[in-house]
Amino acid sequence: MARSWMEYRTPAWVQWCPGCGNFGILAAIQRAISELDIEPKKLTVVSGIGCSGRSCYYIKGSNMHVLHGRAIPVATGIKLANPSQTVIALGGDGDMLGIGVEHFVSVGRRNIDITVIVHDNAVYGLTKGQAGPTLPAWIQTKALPGPNLHDNINPVLLAFASGYTFIARGYAYHVEQTKELIKQAIEHKGTSLVQILQPCPTYNNIMTKQWYEERIYYLNEEEPDWDPVVSTHDEYIAKMPRILMKLVEWGDKIPLGVLYRNIAKDTFEERLSKIILNYYEYPPGRRPIEVEGKPLIDPWTVFKEKVVETQKI
Amino acid sequence: MKEPDILFLIGGPQGGGIESAGQIALKTLVLKGYSVLGTRDYKSNIMGAHSYYTIRARFSRPGAIRFPVDAVVALDAESILTHFTDVKPGGLFVYDSGVLKTKIDSIQPMEKALKDRLKELFASKGLPPITESAIKIAEENGVKLVPLPLRELVRKLAEKTGASLTSVSKAVNTMGLTAMMYLMGVEPRCVEKGIALHFAAKKKVVNINVEAARLAVEYVESNFGGPRETLPDGPHRGKKVMLATGNDLVAMGKLAGGLTFQSYYPITPASDEAIYMERFRYYELSNDAREKLGVPKLGTVIVQTEDELSAIMMALGAAAAGARASTSTSGPGFALMNEAISLAIMAEIPVVLTIWMRGGPSTGLPTKEGQQDLLHAMFSGHGDNPKIVLASGDHVEAFYDAIKALNWAEKYQTPVVHLLDKYLASTTTSLYPDEIDSSKATIERGVRVDDPSEDYKRYAITENGISPFAPIGAKDMILTGLEHTEEGFPTEDPVIRDEMMAKRRRKFETIAREIPPEEKVVLHGDPDAKITLVSWGSTKPIILEALKLLEEKGVKANFLQIRVFYPFPVKEVLDVLTRAETVINIEQNDLLQAAFLIRGFTGFTIKHHIKKLNGRALWDTEVVQAVLEILETGKEEVVVKGGA
Repeated sequence: MARSWMEYRTPAWVQWCPGCGNFGILAAIQRAISELDIEPKKLTVVSGIGCSGRSCYYIKGSNMHVLHGRAIPVATGIKLANPSQTVIALGGDGDMLGIGVEHFVSVGRRNIDITVIVHDNAVYGLTKGQAGPTLPAWIQTKALPGPNLHDNINPVLLAFASGYTFIARGYAYHVEQTKELIKQAIEHKGTSLVQILQPCPTYNNIMTKQWYEERIYYLNEEEPDWDPVVSTHDEYIAKMPRILMKLVEWGDKIPLGVLYRNIAKDTFEERLSKIILNYYEYPPGRRPIEVEGKPLIDPWTVFKEKVVETQKI
Repeated sequence: MKEPDILFLIGGPQGGGIESAGQIALKTLVLKGYSVLGTRDYKSNIMGAHSYYTIRARFSRPGAIRFPVDAVVALDAESILTHFTDVKPGGLFVYDSGVLKTKIDSIQPMEKALKDRLKELFASKGLPPITESAIKIAEENGVKLVPLPLRELVRKLAEKTGASLTSVSKAVNTMGLTAMMYLMGVEPRCVEKGIALHFAAKKKVVNINVEAARLAVEYVESNFGGPRETLPDGPHRGKKVMLATGNDLVAMGKLAGGLTFQSYYPITPASDEAIYMERFRYYELSNDAREKLGVPKLGTVIVQTEDELSAIMMALGAAAAGARASTSTSGPGFALMNEAISLAIMAEIPVVLTIWMRGGPSTGLPTKEGQQDLLHAMFSGHGDNPKIVLASGDHVEAFYDAIKALNWAEKYQTPVVHLLDKYLASTTTSLYPDEIDSSKATIERGVRVDDPSEDYKRYAITENGISPFAPIGAKDMILTGLEHTEEGFPTEDPVIRDEMMAKRRRKFETIAREIPPEEKVVLHGDPDAKITLVSWGSTKPIILEALKLLEEKGVKANFLQIRVFYPFPVKEVLDVLTRAETVINIEQNDLLQAAFLIRGFTGFTIKHHIKKLNGRALWDTEVVQAVLEILETGKEEVVVKGGA
């Protein structure tokens, strides 16, 4: 019997503005983990800085609130130290694709088994509405002194180029559908991205609820034969053109759902276990480091290549 | 008989086998029973720039290298021109006789400033601006010249071994080295053993180099005669000896110290530590541990990250999840880690930052010596930022400090900055089993709860300021960089803020109280001496040598080595400094950073300073000269400038 999603709430006051998309994302995460029946202590939410960063105080887990842009490397360290933990790294578009974009890219190269959730509202909310990295050029949201001169980054295409093996896009006000995407992302073995489009009723007066809802559509509804799962190289080659078309589709129509999933690639943890053979049994966070307060190794044995036996002359 | 004390250097282009020659020389001398010290000077370059390896050997461990040396091997024109004045009168200058006509201006990698100085010198003596002029001056200085026709010897080597000219031409390093060692009285068979040991499994390479050594000996013998006498064997024959750099020893210390996670981004001179560790990341346990734990091997996860921000943050994540974690970098990388240090302090996460200092500011002298990051370490992180800062003085300290830093980090749930430098990183020495003995080390983790109860609070307010540590995954909890309640929820409440600031301060009072005084400072030499030298870091063995030399000159001094800078050992430092009549501070930075801290923490102003800024290793002899100068003239500051 799965736990109720209510069990994943905490006593903290949820401090977001009324109507904020973060509420929907929070509910979707809580429902996803409750349906997956993950024990709170076995869940770790690592969050960056910004409005969405507060999520780690609202989801019952073994959590960590870190620095602006740095949720992904912390989540990586936690996962590698304790691979049995379910780890989610979340942050806004500014956090993940602005200040922390190097980690957003590099985690894909490792295919660490964590879930990255980007709360994408195209503005910096907590610092009062500056342009985020996903805000298209020439848009002037209400807090901007002039139009945005930067082009917008495409998070799903960047994730694809970086090696993510699960890429999905959801919409914050659609809790049920977003919950399903998050569940699949958590269950996927490897680095997963869920980009969640999120109106910011306070600062983004252009990309509003209405703006999004005129454009979004679910791939599995409009294109019933949509199948983004790749398990072999041949399948990759065959499906790639259509997947790429969907990854770049943005404007009048914005596709939602699972955009890409590759089940052929091994995770970083699996790669490690080919070198450290008992890695899963003795991970860094859960292995002995001493016996009766004494070291486990003798440098003269382990590093014997540095030892010169002088009697051999 | 006077104890032999030999000192030589071998110079050549980077990528030209200088490192190999140095290693062969070290191994040869260790096989002969000597204690050795060898340091590598190189430029930020892969191939072509001048580099050299300086080696000193005697019965007791040499603490310093210095110029002039007893012998130089110069494998190319730039080496001849760089080192022709670095040999003592009566010393040996072994060089390639085929490059004498090389014009100074035709040597592309050579620094213009050096070329200009040489041209001026040669012109003042009426000599042309060519390599031969350097040889003439060396000869005038009473240096014994040993020209080797390297090109001809290489041709002979190819004939003798049947190998191609290109494949044997690399062996010029062995030829030069062997010629010099032979004339210094090292038996050729010892050099051959050194070669065999160095190239180990590579039979063909061993064969070529052994033949190269024989050709060199033959040539030297028939043209210059044999050595005056054979160098006697040293006292360490028959012992097990470890030849390791500071980088190696920190890697060994960390693995012995139970490190389970290390992340790093490549940077000189730090990466060799992580790279070395990575080679041994799945290691055999000792018999006792294997039996008691029922597992033969365990591993340490080592990750090369995308940048230093990721390196420190990954280590923090791993540490929060229970790993014994560290990262390793140099000044520039450390600068990028500053924000994370502040997080580690606030969120109370144990982590060790191993900082291998090099010459700054900025990219500065990336492959050269410097001790310019002490203040950086002390004040790293924004906000009030207490942490532990310790500095290792030599190879043995580096090994045990690596373990100690890990212990302190976990026991006190705080970042520990372990300061080392380029000199230690790339200096090799011989070590004996009783010096590097992991059974002498203790592993302490502090108060850890692996199975916390329902009412566990991550930031419980305690009397000693230390909250019991439970790893992520053991219970629901929150770690955070925001000011927080005992449970980890953010708060801006004024009362809780004061309580939490006080709790963290109490933790540092606990640290200051619990670290034994003898681990904070060490007073070397006669405690009643009237002169006290103060220093820190890798200058330790150099200053210890200088103390002996000063004593020979009738000057009695002691040496206060500061090991822990944070929490600052106020009483221990003041006790020593107020007893001395003259205090002289020695540092390899311009701001006199340790003296600044001493003044700030104790109010004691040191009046005399010796500093070295040119990126070269400090010499014992120049310390002695500078001390004598200060004693004679009362000078406030002497900048020493040795090195090529």
